[in-house]
Amino acid sequence: MVVLEAKGIKKHFGGVVALADANLICRKGKITGLLGANGSGKSTMSKIISGVYSADGGDIRFKGEQVKYRNPNEAQKNGIAMVFQNLSLVPDLTVWQNIVLGAEEKKRLFLNNEASRIISRNIIDKLLPGLDINRMIYELNPGEMQIVEIAKAVSAKPELLILDEPTAALEQAEVKSLFTYMRSLVEQGVSIIFTSHRLWEVMEICDDIVVFRNGTNAGHIDFETEEKDPEKLIRYITGGIKEIKIEKDRNTLSGNPVLQVHHLSYGGILKDISFELRKGEILGIGGLAGQGQHELMLLLAGNYPKAVCCAELNGKPINLTKPVNAIRNNILLVPGDRQLEGLFLNHPVFTNLIFPKMGLKKQPFITPRKMYKEECERTIARLSIKTDGLDIPVRTLSGGNQQKIVVGKWLPFDVNVLLLADPAKGVDIGAKQDLYAYIIEQVKKERMSVILYASDNQELIEYCDRVLIMYEGRIVSTIEENDINEDRIISASMGIGRTEGERHE
Amino acid sequence: MNALTNRNNPAVKFYLKYKRIVIAFLLIIFLFILGEVTVSNFLSLGQILLTIKLASFIALFALCQMIVISAGGSGLDLSVGYTATITAVLTASVMDGQNSHLWIAILIALGIGIAVGFANGVLTAYLKLPPLVVTLAMANILQGAINVYTAGANITGKPSPVLRIIAAKSIGIFPNILFLLILVAVIVSLILTKTKLGVILFGTGANETTAYLSGINVKLVRCVAFIISGVLASVIGLLLIGNMGMAFKDMGSNYVMPSIAAAVVGGVSLMGGDGNYVGVILGAIFLQTLTNLLVAMGWGDAGKWLGFGIVLFVLLILYVSNRRSR
Amino acid sequence: MNKTTEKKQTSSFMNNMVKRPEFSILVILVVMITLTALLQKNFFSIKSIVRNINAFTPLILLTMGQAVVIIAGGIDLSAGPALSLLTCVLTFIMKEGSPVTGVYALVITFAAAVLLGIINGIGIGYLRIPPVIATFATSFMWLGTALFIRPTPGGETVNWFNAFYSFRSLENVPQVIRTIGDIIPPALVLVLLGCFFWYILSRTRTGRYIYAVGSSLESAYESGIDTALVQTSAYIINSVFIFLTALFFVGQNQSGDARLGDPLTLRAIAAAVVGGIALSGGKGSVFFAIVGALILSFVNKIIFFADIPYAFQTLVGGVIVIGAIASSRFYTIYNQKVRKKESSLI
Repeated sequence: MVVLEAKGIKKHFGGVVALADANLICRKGKITGLLGANGSGKSTMSKIISGVYSADGGDIRFKGEQVKYRNPNEAQKNGIAMVFQNLSLVPDLTVWQNIVLGAEEKKRLFLNNEASRIISRNIIDKLLPGLDINRMIYELNPGEMQIVEIAKAVSAKPELLILDEPTAALEQAEVKSLFTYMRSLVEQGVSIIFTSHRLWEVMEICDDIVVFRNGTNAGHIDFETEEKDPEKLIRYITGGIKEIKIEKDRNTLSGNPVLQVHHLSYGGILKDISFELRKGEILGIGGLAGQGQHELMLLLAGNYPKAVCCAELNGKPINLTKPVNAIRNNILLVPGDRQLEGLFLNHPVFTNLIFPKMGLKKQPFITPRKMYKEECERTIARLSIKTDGLDIPVRTLSGGNQQKIVVGKWLPFDVNVLLLADPAKGVDIGAKQDLYAYIIEQVKKERMSVILYASDNQELIEYCDRVLIMYEGRIVSTIEENDINEDRIISASMGIGRTEGERHE
Repeated sequence: MNALTNRNNPAVKFYLKYKRIVIAFLLIIFLFILGEVTVSNFLSLGQILLTIKLASFIALFALCQMIVISAGGSGLDLSVGYTATITAVLTASVMDGQNSHLWIAILIALGIGIAVGFANGVLTAYLKLPPLVVTLAMANILQGAINVYTAGANITGKPSPVLRIIAAKSIGIFPNILFLLILVAVIVSLILTKTKLGVILFGTGANETTAYLSGINVKLVRCVAFIISGVLASVIGLLLIGNMGMAFKDMGSNYVMPSIAAAVVGGVSLMGGDGNYVGVILGAIFLQTLTNLLVAMGWGDAGKWLGFGIVLFVLLILYVSNRRSR
Repeated sequence: MNKTTEKKQTSSFMNNMVKRPEFSILVILVVMITLTALLQKNFFSIKSIVRNINAFTPLILLTMGQAVVIIAGGIDLSAGPALSLLTCVLTFIMKEGSPVTGVYALVITFAAAVLLGIINGIGIGYLRIPPVIATFATSFMWLGTALFIRPTPGGETVNWFNAFYSFRSLENVPQVIRTIGDIIPPALVLVLLGCFFWYILSRTRTGRYIYAVGSSLESAYESGIDTALVQTSAYIINSVFIFLTALFFVGQNQSGDARLGDPLTLRAIAAAVVGGIALSGGKGSVFFAIVGALILSFVNKIIFFADIPYAFQTLVGGVIVIGAIASSRFYTIYNQKVRKKESSLI
């Protein structure tokens, strides 16, 4: 029996199409897996169903009735609960207080804490029996928080439960008990939509799997009638093996190492990372979202003062505990979140472009406005930034032009290593091409070295000489030159080809 | 396209860039006209000059606020009033009406300013304590120190004649303090727009992450902002004693609240990262005009504070809703 | 076996107690009381206890109100001026010799108190003005209004209003009741009333949501809580405490004063911080804030009795405030480090 049917769903953010024409069907008492590469639209689909976003087109039927929720609350009242990746727990309340938050049991005017505790106890006992429900949320580790988040969603007694990558923060034992609990929920008639990047998990728990690619349905496997074939799933995710031959005539393997990193670890997020970057090379960092790539970039740019980093630049050890140290060594970062980390939105283009120079001692005290202006104009011409002069606030520019400003800040520097953290995210296609054209030209002409983290595998394939795949804070695989293709990247990212023991050390 | 909505029209461009200053200016004119209509003899050159003279100390204290607020981190400096007072009290007997000891007074002022500012800066920027509570407590400490110093004894001493000339005398009808204010405004505006200090200060306030990743020592910038504020407040203390001709216990404390209000009215963004000293001076003049008007209308102190409160609250609503619509 | 586990439990309970910040606060309070008792003769006599309660009550009540607001993620810089305004309103309405005007005054002033809370709440909860600056602006408004009503301290009260301070000067009251008033001061009743009020509230959804909103506004919002309403409620609750304080002051002074509350605002905030209320919101207990208020009050008494010149009072007060918030900051940093170490060991 079909509980939820989403048909022809469309959604775009600005100029970026997230869902073109996507369908999803969930049956009562079944677990539906939702798979797809980064940016394939599966998260957007979950959020549309749970009322976080509203769809631009298409219709959703829940229990046979057409629905359109304005916010997650409405969806929850109607029986759809979603567990978000970004945690929505209140740190200074206890586990049980969080589980019933917003729907506390009452005895007339007063809270009935005993009843609330019993409800929470019952759910937690099945999910994570060792967890004390009287502990504060801020005392928990990420895995325990994730479990509480799931318990909170379940406590609303939903008929459809959406779990968006719930296992990312969990230990293997926790995953096992979560799966057991999911099965018991399903037996009670609850339907579940489950997304995960770990292929084996999806194959173990789901009754059928829907695969998204580029905002549309790429395939569907029903495990009741078909066999569990990982190869087939990967084919659906990547869209078959595409043979793209890109000329990468840069002769980089012979270059001298510019940056060498030895056994770098940081706070449980980065584990034992070693690699070297050669002169004139574009080194790609790939993998699923949130495996420590952003942190690696920030660390190399000196953002973590307490990190112990054994790195050598051109053979000399360098200290990367302050951004200014990295900048003096011309290791320059284009951060992933340009609005929060890269720009002063309310300030004019001019100050944004000249700002990085202010931290350098050799800059004159009195701003040589004319010289800076000429420099800025060269930058603008070079990156073909579309702006109405130097004095308008950056926030009025389009996303692509804003990103160009973030890159353009470093143009006057004599770049040793350029760190690019997902530079094409939310950037239109034209600006993206401009950006990469500039970078490739610099690499070719000036023998600049680049570390590029991209969530879109296509960018890694097109531009990189080597790709390092990260998984749970480690570099798990290195893909060289001609082997770089979608298939290799995806299998390495999802941990295919490794034994289960390796996946959960 | 309509000329008024065209962004390339120079007048519109000017308005968009200096919106809050234009608003403050229009508000002042409105008040003077209102005053002329309701109370006679309100709009005259003498009256305007008197207003500016009275507003000048608010404007000077507001410079401290502007620098601290601009550096971000929800900065505010409530200790400026007592920093000025303690400087005035301690230097009064040193100067004792002579010019010869002025330099000692200046050294004392610098010392006090740096010490207070450094304490505020370290506690807020490095220990991340809320500036509001820290500077308020600092004000208490300074007030207490003044009480201890003056316990049982009268405050003796007079300002040096030079300070009297700068802060109290006038050339013709133009008060000297007005020229000083203009000079300060020019210097401050030049520093903030033409040197890298201004770029760093506003950048740090606008987005500390971006500034930090661009190689700026954010904590140091905020700490220095407090030190500058302390030194300025201390020097203003010298001017205050010059203006009043003597030092007394609470001489600076009445300027603190108006100085914050002037900064807000003058368009200093409370989120940090934006501000213009000319606007702040206009804000101070506006508040002084409002006070004068309310006093002239016979509403006195009550009307002054109520007016302050309502104007602040309304402007906050306007500016904050402005921020949200972006 | 049972015995050993029990022992283990009690020892771990003691351990937990020592680890909690509340423990150190209580120790400080005990030290303060001991010092005061040593310095002040007859500290434990009824007369002196009553006098101390009367002296401490305003700060205790204001601190409780401030604590509620700070837990909800705000702060109230307008509390002092609001207190002044309420005393002015009370004495404005009351007419000496007409007892019924006292009732009018109570009702109208209570409504005014709630209104002040609503205005702060609207500015902060619905219009999203940062609490510090919003209450900074409203503090001018309250001050201005108070000065309008009463430019200089004064006013008249009805006779029975004395009951909020002492039963001594009440007319037509049997001696027994006066004696009771001498032993159980009305101020204590007001504090207990405030405690009862918060005790009831803390058992409702509103009480729980005040913590949730202060701890994480976004998470609370995502959980379906009307955060703006909760913030407004916190300011209204604060207003009730301010109202109780106003009753005490008018009972004591028989007059209204537009400048009465000014010095109390910072003291109440400081007391709340000393009492373990984190300025970042969501943490602390309103009842423990009382301990903070007591500590600050005892400090003043010690300064008074230790022959330290009175002039030192403000100075020491400021130092204590900075010391208190700095040490609470160090405490959280230390705790975070310990937690990190523990988690990295796992």
